[in-house]
Amino acid sequence: MSRVKELQKSLFGGTTSNARQFGMIFTLVAIVLLFQILTDGLTLSPGNLISLVSQYSYILILAIGMLMVIVAGHIDLSVGSVAAFVGIVVANVMQDYSVPWFPAILIGLAVGALIGAWQGFWVAYVGVPAFIVTLAGMMLFRGGNQFIGNADTIPVPEGFRTIGAGFLPEVGPDTGYNNLTLLLGLVVCVAVVIREWRGRRTRREMMADVAPMWISAIRIVIPVVVVVFATLQFAGGRVGTSFPVSGIILGVLVVIYGFVTRNTAGGRHIYAVGGNARAAELSGVKLKRVNFLVMMNMSVLAALAGMIFVARSAASGPQDGIGWELDAIAAVFVGGAAVSGGLGTISGSIVGGLVMAVLNNGLQLMGVGSDRVQIIKGVVLLLAVALDAYNKKQGRFSVIDSLMRPFRRDAALSPASAVEAGQESGKSPVAG
Amino acid sequence: MRNILVRGVAAGAIALLALAGCSSERSGGDATASSSAGSDKGFPANSLIGVALPAKTSENWVLAGDLFTNGLKEAGFQSDVQYAGSSTTVADQQAQISAMVTKGAKVIVIGATDAAQLSTQVEAAKQAGATVIAYDRLIKNTQGVDYYVAYDNFKVGELQGQALLDGMAKKKSSGPYTIELFSGSQDDNNSAVFFDGAMSVLKPKIDSGDVVVGSGQTDIKQTATDGWKAENAQRRMDSLLTSTYNGDKTLDGVLSPNDTLARAIITSVKGAGKPIPVVTGQDSEVESVKSIMAGEQYSTINKDTRNLVKQTIQMVKDLQAGKTPEVNDTKSYNNGVKVVPSFLLPPVIVTKENAAEAYANDPTLAPLTK
Repeated sequence: MSRVKELQKSLFGGTTSNARQFGMIFTLVAIVLLFQILTDGLTLSPGNLISLVSQYSYILILAIGMLMVIVAGHIDLSVGSVAAFVGIVVANVMQDYSVPWFPAILIGLAVGALIGAWQGFWVAYVGVPAFIVTLAGMMLFRGGNQFIGNADTIPVPEGFRTIGAGFLPEVGPDTGYNNLTLLLGLVVCVAVVIREWRGRRTRREMMADVAPMWISAIRIVIPVVVVVFATLQFAGGRVGTSFPVSGIILGVLVVIYGFVTRNTAGGRHIYAVGGNARAAELSGVKLKRVNFLVMMNMSVLAALAGMIFVARSAASGPQDGIGWELDAIAAVFVGGAAVSGGLGTISGSIVGGLVMAVLNNGLQLMGVGSDRVQIIKGVVLLLAVALDAYNKKQGRFSVIDSLMRPFRRDAALSPASAVEAGQESGKSPVAG
Repeated sequence: MRNILVRGVAAGAIALLALAGCSSERSGGDATASSSAGSDKGFPANSLIGVALPAKTSENWVLAGDLFTNGLKEAGFQSDVQYAGSSTTVADQQAQISAMVTKGAKVIVIGATDAAQLSTQVEAAKQAGATVIAYDRLIKNTQGVDYYVAYDNFKVGELQGQALLDGMAKKKSSGPYTIELFSGSQDDNNSAVFFDGAMSVLKPKIDSGDVVVGSGQTDIKQTATDGWKAENAQRRMDSLLTSTYNGDKTLDGVLSPNDTLARAIITSVKGAGKPIPVVTGQDSEVESVKSIMAGEQYSTINKDTRNLVKQTIQMVKDLQAGKTPEVNDTKSYNNGVKVVPSFLLPPVIVTKENAAEAYANDPTLAPLTK
């Protein structure tokens, strides 16, 4: 096997990697570099990276929940309204009842869970399509926001603002950088190395092919280089700034949800339900419970996103949350999820969301008006999904297709799809 | 085996350390130093000036954007004029202001979409050494706003109240005059300011009995027009006419906070077959200027966007030269955290008599007054 082929296989195609996701990572890198040149280096400057993360962390948090909803074969149109509703409730309890900010956050999450249970009940146990339930929720909770807030803007206290606009404190010796951010970067680097090392060990124990050493080295060096670079940029911002707190919340959620969807039975059930609900149910997946939990989880994350936005804006306003659902849905689809459900990954959605975010930010730095920014984002969304569809039609490598295969085994195979699956299984090894 | 990994990582790390080290924005707290220097000694004449405006929902904002683009260019500045998007307005404006800070704008002029949701960005701008000017709408709950420039809205109310009295006196030499009061949407802070301004003139007359509010509705909650919507004003006027002015009772005047509502009120009165009372207005909308010339609406207020933009650019020029911009009010506008030094432009009342003069410089309105 030539080295190039080997690289392709073990870096992009093999193991649990998702080639579409890698495609998007390259797109992301290309867009970043393009804007880095077009804006004379402003894109990767510390100040801009910090504002980029704090501006989009709440959309990316929504994308995590939305990915799971879409994978399960549903959609949630209510997230913006739910976020706005929770935002106004939380701002209100802090202002009118002087609840301290931390319990207020818990109240917010509880309200989110309650709303989620409401929507999950209709979707899972009554069987109303999620599109309808959440369309109703969109109006319901937008109205609720205006009812409670009287279309007013309600400010939130300083402590609460930490989750949206806060930074890590400056501690330790003066290194010219934010020390806690440096520490954070170190932890991520170590995690990357450990993960690769453990992956190799597992494959050896299972008597599987272990990728050559130099491949592992590349798989470690590239992310570590990126992380080190990012760390130094984030740590090197204006004094008093660091990697944003909202970014840390996002990071923790990505790790947790990434693990849940990839490595736990419950997480795989979501994929099974989205791939073929009937087959999943027959194989013992508790269909109703999965649907219920997925919808409920989305509203909890929407509540969190809403609070982060309110914290960042220092006030809850009547226009909060308008259009967020569409940003989150776009991020998920650009990140490689299928409209029909059953595939997509958390990290893919995050990368998809980042592509849209960097695009938005770069165009703004160039002074392009919001009218044209919207047009460009629309075209990118369409092209990203169309490219995959086109590749699939041409019989070339398509991630959506290669990922669909595991679920086809569950499906009652129609002759056509059996033949298709048979033909393609020769091209590349079946993914994980 | 792991040695290779470790070595690779180390090499990469060192390379990037060198790379990233160059772009650090720290170097010993010079951010605060530069911000104070910025306001004391001015800045280069070709600096970037950011202008963040709300979504393009009214002619006024589109006109303001064009005026800023051209005016800043003429003054030798680089300009970055941005409108918020139509759907995600607040988030867009936040991102645009952050982008302006990143680009190193020296002055950021903000026409806020939501005046209370920008404090994080405004404070970041301040820390990066930019001067923030709130344009038309005062930015709330933040120390970061340096100046506020707007038309004097209390004065607008006073002028409306006075115009109402003058107009009625012209039609009917002696009182008592019967009037009705309308105010704007309750979620808009300006509504109360207009109303209070007008009441400061009308209240003494009401107390002395010269002026009678026919329906007795004088509280701002009773007179409010939800969302500044014409249909709501028209509906309220319809019901006032049926409840209070049936038969031969006449209505002499109506206090209306703006032109759109004024026209709705006139439509309602016409529909009921009553003579048109003296109705005030504001904004110099094209239809209302036509109505004034036709003798229906009595007055409007001219708040020329050109003058407001001109004044703002003058402030930017002063800051550039290292001078303190001129302000004429240092106590009225408290944003919740501090009193923001303000420059208030005087509004101009326009009736049929002075319309030609007031709109002489306005290419759209001037022909209507001939």
